Amino acid sequence: MMFPALDPLLHSELRLAVVSLLMSVYEADFTYIKEQTGATSGNLSVQLDKLTAAGYITVEKGFKGKMPRTTCRITPAGTEAFRDYVKALKKYISAKK
Amino acid sequence: MEENANLTAERSLEIITEQIERSRNVVAKDTGQLLYLSGLATMGTAVIVALVNGLSASPMGQLLWLILPFIIWGIKRIHDKKQVQAPVSLVGTLVCKTWWSFGYIVIGFYLFALIWNILVLRLCDNLTTATQAMVAITPVIILLMGMAVAVTGHILKRRWLVLFGILGGLLVAICEYSGVIRAIIVYSVASVKTIIVLNLITPCLSIFLFSLIGLVIPGWMLKKQNP
Repeated sequence: MMFPALDPLLHSELRLAVVSLLMSVYEADFTYIKEQTGATSGNLSVQLDKLTAAGYITVEKGFKGKMPRTTCRITPAGTEAFRDYVKALKKYISAKK
Repeated sequence: MEENANLTAERSLEIITEQIERSRNVVAKDTGQLLYLSGLATMGTAVIVALVNGLSASPMGQLLWLILPFIIWGIKRIHDKKQVQAPVSLVGTLVCKTWWSFGYIVIGFYLFALIWNILVLRLCDNLTTATQAMVAITPVIILLMGMAVAVTGHILKRRWLVLFGILGGLLVAICEYSGVIRAIIVYSVASVKTIIVLNLITPCLSIFLFSLIGLVIPGWMLKKQNP
């Protein structure tokens, strides 16, 4: 039985957590993602850049009142990649059983 | 959470489930806070309406219910400003839309019933006929509130909240509609004047009771469950 390859970009703890989180919300700001994943700002920034470069998420910088705000949103490509990743995961797990 | 590419399939699924669950819990906590505060505001308004009705011995205090949506709107605005807002999610949007729909239906129904009841009282000569033709406002509002609480419970996947909504709503609405609360008052109070005044207060008592059972306690429990 041939197993579909797992997307290497999603197959990382922090990036997977970020994408999973963004799948259940329309958009989330940097502080919220940082709080929910427990990542450091530096590490999170690096991982967000990688996801943005792959076209899985969009990052928008703006202001909320006078405070700077970075908002992340999942793209249709990101949603598709996440679905494929979950499908592949299910195949791996069912094969193990 | 550090970057780790050596993930097992099980760990990956665990991360996905954990994040979705976290997101649901953030919405649950936010909803809990709002249910709790809205419940307290409703209970407070019920007390004020009961006092005005009781002191004036007329149902004029009922008009004060119209202020409640503005109080709750104000509470939501202050809450949104003070707290780190939960991100907009499908779950949050569904809960929000359930309560907005409840609000619109209740305000519309309340205004209709108020005008209808005033017209019935003016047009009917016989008080018994008028009483039969009047719309019972409180049980309908309590049932709608119970349904909104139950739907919120379904969306948040909290079975106990569904039970609180259905059982609390049905119990208080049936007691109010069948006159159980009134009957208790009539049997326990001798003076006719006191009975008339207490009759004006019982709908407030029912709303007070359901706000406690359906809003304040579940709101407090949601807040406590998701620290």
